[in-house]
Amino acid sequence: MSATVAAGPDAAARPRIRASRWQVVEYQLYVGRRIWRTMFVVGVGTPLAYVLALGVGLGTVVDNNGNTLGVPYIVYVAPAFLTAAALQIAAADTAFPIMAGFKWIRTFHGMAATPLTATQICDGQLLWVALRIFANSAVYLGIMAAFGGTERWWVLLTIPVATLTAMAFAAPIAALAATLENEGNAFNMVFRFVVTPMFLFSGTFYPISQLPQWGQDLAYISPLWHGTMLARGAAIGHLGALPALGHVAYLLAWLVPGIAVARWRFAVRISK
Amino acid sequence: MIYGRNFRPRRLLPFPLVTTPTPRGQVDTLTRSSADPLIHARGLTKTFGTFTAVDGIDFAVPRGEAFGFLGPNGAGKSSTMRMIACVAPITSGSLRILGMDPATQGPAIRGRLGVVPQQDTLDLELTVRENLYIYGRYFGLSRSVLRGKVEELMDFAQLSDRADAKVEPLSGGMKRRLTIARSLINDPEILLLDEPTTGLDPQARHVLWDRLYRLKQQGVTLVLTTHYMDEAEQLCDRLVVMDGGRIVAEGSPQQLIAEHSTREVAELRFPPGENAAAAERVSALLDPASERAEVLPDRVLLYVADGERMLARAHEQGLAPISSLVRRSSLEDVFLRLTGRSLVD
Repeated sequence: MSATVAAGPDAAARPRIRASRWQVVEYQLYVGRRIWRTMFVVGVGTPLAYVLALGVGLGTVVDNNGNTLGVPYIVYVAPAFLTAAALQIAAADTAFPIMAGFKWIRTFHGMAATPLTATQICDGQLLWVALRIFANSAVYLGIMAAFGGTERWWVLLTIPVATLTAMAFAAPIAALAATLENEGNAFNMVFRFVVTPMFLFSGTFYPISQLPQWGQDLAYISPLWHGTMLARGAAIGHLGALPALGHVAYLLAWLVPGIAVARWRFAVRISK
Repeated sequence: MIYGRNFRPRRLLPFPLVTTPTPRGQVDTLTRSSADPLIHARGLTKTFGTFTAVDGIDFAVPRGEAFGFLGPNGAGKSSTMRMIACVAPITSGSLRILGMDPATQGPAIRGRLGVVPQQDTLDLELTVRENLYIYGRYFGLSRSVLRGKVEELMDFAQLSDRADAKVEPLSGGMKRRLTIARSLINDPEILLLDEPTTGLDPQARHVLWDRLYRLKQQGVTLVLTTHYMDEAEQLCDRLVVMDGGRIVAEGSPQQLIAEHSTREVAELRFPPGENAAAAERVSALLDPASERAEVLPDRVLLYVADGERMLARAHEQGLAPISSLVRRSSLEDVFLRLTGRSLVD
């Protein structure tokens, strides 16, 4: 009978614990309700500005001066913007909220006192970012379409592609955020010296063949370039299946170890 | 009944307190054997690198008890609490909670614990109600169960009129009450409180004590750390004093006073510089087996069986303190005796 006693007489009456990562997502939705205005401005304002200023505005200049890309400039550049925006938002949405969860408002420590495990907390947090990026990318695509930036249905694939690219980069950022004990100055470095240059050197505005060799080498490392190639391939249709698989494999090579390390860092931080 | 229908009084009580007793409440009070401790630690140790925070302690907490860890800062209380909360892994020794092993059954144990951490982990952006609701969701409780539960707990924490206010501007005492309310969302069998009233004003502390006392009456097992002696005396049936990662004394507040102090303390204040000399003269009057004198910069403390008699005898000896008082020995005297007067940090 010792096992029964150990479990407590009311073990049967007690509802089975169904803690899961989705409850972390639910929490984020509650928080998100408070900041939906900001999310709306970022989610709609940014794509509007980029698609109008660079896609339509710069696109007119490019198209009038002998565009050799084979498609209007907006069709070429907009999927890259969509992917880059996804990556940037995911990085910011991972870095500071996770830092806050451990250090400033300490919500993760509160969650850790419940049946939730470190892995569930980490996964839930990443899942929330992925959902947000997915929704954001859909809105972006809608705005692209409204301004003539889409030509084929395959362009819908840019939404999952952008989400994959964003999370491939965000997972290691999550690991870093769970590790940092200081006030997060490291993130200023990451944004200044990694995220911004990545946007400029990942074939967003022009093919990387225009770059010197070292620039091309940088682009090959950058997950954003691989994501951009995929998204553009979906939008224009020039990308072969094999290169496409190669790009996906490269992004997974960031994502999967990134999640593993992030889970490990969450567990270490919580048990400290 | 203050807790309403879902807040069932459990354990310890031979009869149900609410008008609609539930099967669960009855089963509890009839079949629960108080012989198995809810928490059982043997040689429990926690090290951080070369630093030993908890140094092989033994203790057991039976169901329904209010058990306290006392000790100065850095004594190992919080590390012990984090191991009991199944948040920090143990380094060595053994720890069983509710008959389970924290290393392998952490989520199952945590599902039956309530935790009030030293630092609040409330979400300041959310309202009082949302904080309670979301926390209940982490335990997998359904929306319909939580709807009633949240109302009861807000009532219990005297926060119903702030239900839809954000947490951020609430006072420290309100936040603390909300943290306690939140820790009760899963009807915990053990409530862990790490310095529950540190930093609160006296009114807020008394309100909190009142709430904790009610929980104890309901049969919830309380485990708390504190460095307030009055808090320990108010709340704890039994406590251990920790110092340097070890348990240096164990017992009820009365037992500890009886064992480690005298019945009364006479405090004699002499002019500055004369205290040491006065203490020497008065020491001759003490029973060396059970009584002692302690010199502080501003006064002499005499730990004696009969304070008034000692005071009279000191006057007979020609000693003329500026002021004097006789009081009962307190847990604080025990604490200072066991852990010393010097600062450790």
